[in-house]
Amino acid sequence: MTSPLLSVRNLVVDFQTGEGVTRAVNNISFDIPAGKTIGIVGESGSGKSVTSLAIMGLLQKPAATIPQGEIIFNGQNLLEYNDAQMRQIRGDKISMIFQEPMTSLNPVFKVGDQIAETIRIHRKISAKEAWDRAVDLMNQVGIPNPSASAHKYPHEMSGGQKQRVMIAMAIACEPKLLIADEPTTALDVTIQKQVLDLLFSLQQKYHMSMLFITHDLGVIGDIADDVVVMYRSNVVEKNNAKEIFYTAKHPYTKGLLACRPKLGANPRRLLTVSDFMDEAGVEKHVSPERVVVFDKETEREKSSDILLEVKNLVTQFPIKGGFFGRTVDHFKAVNDVSFKLKKGQTLGLVGESGCGKTTLGRSILRLVEPASGSIIYDGKDITNVYAEELRLLRRKMQIIFQDPYSSLNPRMTISEILTEPLNIHNVGNGRKERLDMAKELFEKVGLNVAQLNRYPHEFSGGQRQRICIARALMLRPEFVVCDESVSALDVSVQAQVLNLLLDLQQEFHLTYVFISHDLSVVNFIADEVGVMNAGKIIEMDKASNIYKNPKEEYTRALLSAIPKGLVKSDLSALV
Amino acid sequence: MKENSLWKDAFKRLIQDKMALASLVVVVIYSLIAVLAATGLIASDWAKEVGASNLPPSAEHWFGTDIFGRDVLAKVLHGTQIAMSVGLFTSLIAIPIGVILGALAGYFGGWVDDFITWLYTTFSSIPNIMLLISITMILGKGLFAVYIALGATSWVTLCRLIRGEVMKHKEREYVQAAGAIGGGHFRKLFLHILPNVTHIVIINTSLQFQFAIKSEVILSYLGLGVQGEPSWGTMIDDAKLELARGVWWQLVGATAAMFLVVLAFNLLGDALRDSLDPKLKGK
Amino acid sequence: MIKYIVRRLLYLIPVLLGVSFIIFVLFNLVSGDPTAVLLGKNATARQMAELREQLGLNKPLLDQYFDVVKSAFTFDFGRSWATKQEISQMIIQGAYPSLTLTVPAFVFATILSLIISLVVAFYRGKGIDLFVRFMCIAGVSVSALAYILFFQYFFAYQLGWFEISGFEYGFPDFVPFIALPAIIFVLLSLGPDVRFFRTVILDEIYQDYVRTARAKGLSEVVILLKHVLRNALIPIITYVVIQIPTLILGALLLENFFSIPGLGGITLNALNSSDFPVIKAMAILSSVLYIILSLVTDVLYTFADPRVKLK
Repeated sequence: MTSPLLSVRNLVVDFQTGEGVTRAVNNISFDIPAGKTIGIVGESGSGKSVTSLAIMGLLQKPAATIPQGEIIFNGQNLLEYNDAQMRQIRGDKISMIFQEPMTSLNPVFKVGDQIAETIRIHRKISAKEAWDRAVDLMNQVGIPNPSASAHKYPHEMSGGQKQRVMIAMAIACEPKLLIADEPTTALDVTIQKQVLDLLFSLQQKYHMSMLFITHDLGVIGDIADDVVVMYRSNVVEKNNAKEIFYTAKHPYTKGLLACRPKLGANPRRLLTVSDFMDEAGVEKHVSPERVVVFDKETEREKSSDILLEVKNLVTQFPIKGGFFGRTVDHFKAVNDVSFKLKKGQTLGLVGESGCGKTTLGRSILRLVEPASGSIIYDGKDITNVYAEELRLLRRKMQIIFQDPYSSLNPRMTISEILTEPLNIHNVGNGRKERLDMAKELFEKVGLNVAQLNRYPHEFSGGQRQRICIARALMLRPEFVVCDESVSALDVSVQAQVLNLLLDLQQEFHLTYVFISHDLSVVNFIADEVGVMNAGKIIEMDKASNIYKNPKEEYTRALLSAIPKGLVKSDLSALV
Repeated sequence: MKENSLWKDAFKRLIQDKMALASLVVVVIYSLIAVLAATGLIASDWAKEVGASNLPPSAEHWFGTDIFGRDVLAKVLHGTQIAMSVGLFTSLIAIPIGVILGALAGYFGGWVDDFITWLYTTFSSIPNIMLLISITMILGKGLFAVYIALGATSWVTLCRLIRGEVMKHKEREYVQAAGAIGGGHFRKLFLHILPNVTHIVIINTSLQFQFAIKSEVILSYLGLGVQGEPSWGTMIDDAKLELARGVWWQLVGATAAMFLVVLAFNLLGDALRDSLDPKLKGK
Repeated sequence: MIKYIVRRLLYLIPVLLGVSFIIFVLFNLVSGDPTAVLLGKNATARQMAELREQLGLNKPLLDQYFDVVKSAFTFDFGRSWATKQEISQMIIQGAYPSLTLTVPAFVFATILSLIISLVVAFYRGKGIDLFVRFMCIAGVSVSALAYILFFQYFFAYQLGWFEISGFEYGFPDFVPFIALPAIIFVLLSLGPDVRFFRTVILDEIYQDYVRTARAKGLSEVVILLKHVLRNALIPIITYVVIQIPTLILGALLLENFFSIPGLGGITLNALNSSDFPVIKAMAILSSVLYIILSLVTDVLYTFADPRVKLK
């Protein structure tokens, strides 16, 4: 075996914080062979991004220190390079793509200049030649009309196009190694697919090695030859992708693989990492009944009462323009949507960003005013109720938001947050009783009552989302809109919260509208699924039918874009 | 158990910072002096002739005496009262106007925002010094005019900051969540958003104080400020002619007194920003 | 872009009306009857009535307001009460000494501050950065009066390097008169300028695009001078341009101490003699200048920030 292109040996990275030293990367080693793709998978805070920044020499000094380890590239230890030497490597031999295409480009320079700049740092060519090369690169990464697009500024491009520009910039000097840190996480699923395909083909074309960092095992299965699994600053498992997917050895890897809902049938409740190992990391035996696949269509209780009916709903936003900023037109975020939802069931709304799914959810709750159409809740038209009636409606209809960090008021304690709805609606007798009600629900969502007087910032993302769920349920609503409620969470936490939502649905006989961009999640939780595009529900059917027999071209495109979690070798066999 | 509130955290961070703690102590001491001077417990005899004219600093008169043989230290202490009162009253005028207008503009948007934006654009279009001079001249020289003039110029900054911050918070999900549980505009704006922007008021007040003190000194120097009483500004004005005769203590006394408190407010303002503004954390 | 500028131009109308309204309220409504002040204690009722007529104070309030608005366009501010001179003439005469003092000092102070801030941003967190930060904060805490007094006393009076006061027209005759006040002007500007520029530059340094630039292999110096500075320029332009209107008055104290017969001196003389029309004229003039320059800022924005054109 030839020596690898890059080899990380016993790398340790520490961060100096106010409270002391935190170890971000703990003694990890792995190799990147020439021409291969290595995937690092791990959840937030596992140390995967820190590893990539360490290779690039981009760690923020002096906060970050590397007390131990080697990063051998072409036989040289990069950690011994000085700044000037490292600059020769960066962008030329090793280049990198970041997660946030929106902010990673300089907003005041033309994209063509930004690509050309990379070339001119490392190659002695004229400005004209560099510009032509930049246009050529933009063509290679699939940006339409490259010679005109090169003159654009970043804000004139979509997120997907910006990420293509980032890629063009990264491959400009034909690097030996391309590091991609969550390059598709901020993108829609169809765009993600295109970007992954692009990276794959460019890698073949330029015989690059690639280090691909992601939290999504599905994505990594599509692209990586070997996989390194990181968990709490450590590498817990590394192997070729096939072995990882089919015969994972470490319980964390097994948990990570299991907690992602599959597009087909799933167990009644999702498996989570805690089914595979305990807090100390010791492997547990998974009880057999947890893995039994469950057919919700036959097993779930059926109800025929319609709780919610939406008829020809339109919600629009004014487009300001013209000379005095008057409203010149309306953008129909929700355009003539109709559906019925039975009691105790879950309607999944799925679509890409900007399709109107969030506006639809808020319009149903009258948090956004619809322009026309009607919303009939429990037999009553609520489209035009106001003031007191609308307030009473809030007791029955609730919402859980996406971002667990911004949806709790940072200046209020959890008990204040939970009792606030009771105060508004004058439910319960006095403080004591309200507090008891808060305690009860706080326990139901799986949190420790002793923490009731704490502030939101003292909880993790998953815990915060549980608090949001508890708040939504304080008034004992019948109907809840979950707006991307698990999207901001790590996969293992996401599984726990999905399970919790199902448990609560059963216990409180809740009816859900579950909004998500993630088709597998919607498939797992919803009875019926509506696919949204450009403000309309283009297709609506039983969840399983949507996945098995999609009727619309758009639905098919969405489905085929989902990372399959197949290993590369299997994929190439399919082609 | 509220030990862990964000305010407490911020306060803890603040007093761990030695520079900030020292600044806080200075501010507290100046406030005490101002209160004691205002109640007549100290420096009430600033007008009394206590010795010969223009005595240099000595054990008896630490800051020396002025041309009329009055104790310069007593004048400096009295000037402290004037300076701090200007900071206080200016803030009392500027904070309610700035916060309420800023909050309304940021929260309601639309024509309310258009109107309030127009209002502060208009006010900020008249250069500060010109507005200060005009108002004090028209209202008649004296402290009252200084309060009004500084109040009228300084609500603008606060209003703009609060407006921007409220706009940002209005879109946050916790405010929408308050709406979803049935909370009205009042609850959303005053119970949810405002407690989240109060740090802006605190930081701004600290910087506002030092601006007011500096402005008072200049206005008093120009003869527009306090009349018939010593203030740091009038003391510096007196010193202008005395310096050539080698009488430096009045200038140094007033300047040093002002320097210390302005420096303290500046450092405190910076420290408050670091400890209260989570956006800047980690920088 | 033309549309954007025209829209900004139109927005100036309500602002101008608002400014003239404030000035009208202050000088025509709140200030009361100036005739008593002007004629002294022994004035007869008849004299007062005549003067009121002469000053246009008997006109309807709306007309008086329009006079204020009109003067903002025509720069016809009437005559000074104290010197009986045409105010617009006084302004033209005063502008020369004022501008010879402030313009070079302002340009120099801005450039010097920018250089210092770039250097400390490069060495952020290191000794020199901490030192400059502390000097700035200490510098802005000393009263401007104290600086002027000390410098004038020490360099002009004691050492005799510069003229203590006065002014000569024409280059290079004015140099010994304005050199010291100009130096003090620069010193006074450095503290606040460096503090602001440094903050703005550091805000940019922590942006994602800077990390991208590092990943390209650019050196820190190039990143700072090309990528960061270009973005930081956007807030810096506003800060700098908006200061210009105060330039005509900003040297108020300096002109006063050094007896330079500029606009600041005129303003202060007017202040001492309760010469309302002159103060009013200066308020209108500086506000109009402010409004025009805020338009200039908006136009410069379209060049500095490509994102603006869309709006």
